[in-house]
Amino acid sequence: MSSARYEVDSAATLASRLLDGVEERRSQAGFGPTQLRVGMDVIAVREVARSLERFGGRYVERLFTVHEMATCRCAADTVGNVRGYSTERLAARFAAKEAAIKVLRPIGARPAWPSIEVHRTAGGWCELRLSRSAATLARQAGIDQLAVSLTHEAEVAGAVVVGVCNQGRMDADAGQTGAGRVE
Amino acid sequence: MIVDETIRQVLSEHARLVVDVSTLDDRADLFAAGMTSHSSVNVMLALEDAFDIEFSEEMLKKATFESIGAIRRAVQEMQARG
Repeated sequence: MSSARYEVDSAATLASRLLDGVEERRSQAGFGPTQLRVGMDVIAVREVARSLERFGGRYVERLFTVHEMATCRCAADTVGNVRGYSTERLAARFAAKEAAIKVLRPIGARPAWPSIEVHRTAGGWCELRLSRSAATLARQAGIDQLAVSLTHEAEVAGAVVVGVCNQGRMDADAGQTGAGRVE
Repeated sequence: MIVDETIRQVLSEHARLVVDVSTLDDRADLFAAGMTSHSSVNVMLALEDAFDIEFSEEMLKKATFESIGAIRRAVQEMQARG
């Protein structure tokens, strides 16, 4: 066995033992297992451009938060600019909202689009911030961590969202899995 | 019926269906006919323009836009509310 192969095996074994340990302690404390949920979505940038041209501000205001609108503003000479917005950035954020909805798995009413915000941090990375109906869905599902990755080119934008779903105490919360696990 | 004609016109312009809207009956699944989540946003905004209404948050569910019949019921419900 080469040393490189040995290191990979060791890392995998160590990760597996750590996860087993975490799950064992959670189980002993009366919590259900941790699950991951993944959602992804892609959208043609020209679809967003068409909507922005046709519906203008109403389109943006129904889908995006004030922060998202600010982070998608661009100069008039920017490629992909429509009405002062980068259609690529808006499209990526719409894809993130749809990907998040796939993680939240609503039954019936969907969360309002602005209740899922792609927040751009000072370092330039993006994270998801949920409010109102989306936050309620996350609490009900026991989702206490979310991660998002955005990508866009001239024609297509996409996003992947991962949610960590920690099920609540199996004894006290039967029927309300994970309720109250999200602050 | 003017409401139905308007709904079909809006769908024809904004739903990005892969079939001719005139071939769809009241209960046909619009998402199965090619409408995406994003095009349903355009349909919603165009319906608001056409009927001078505004969809509330609780109406923004897939079921509201899943068929011509469902859209008609939603439009009529909002018109009745005034």
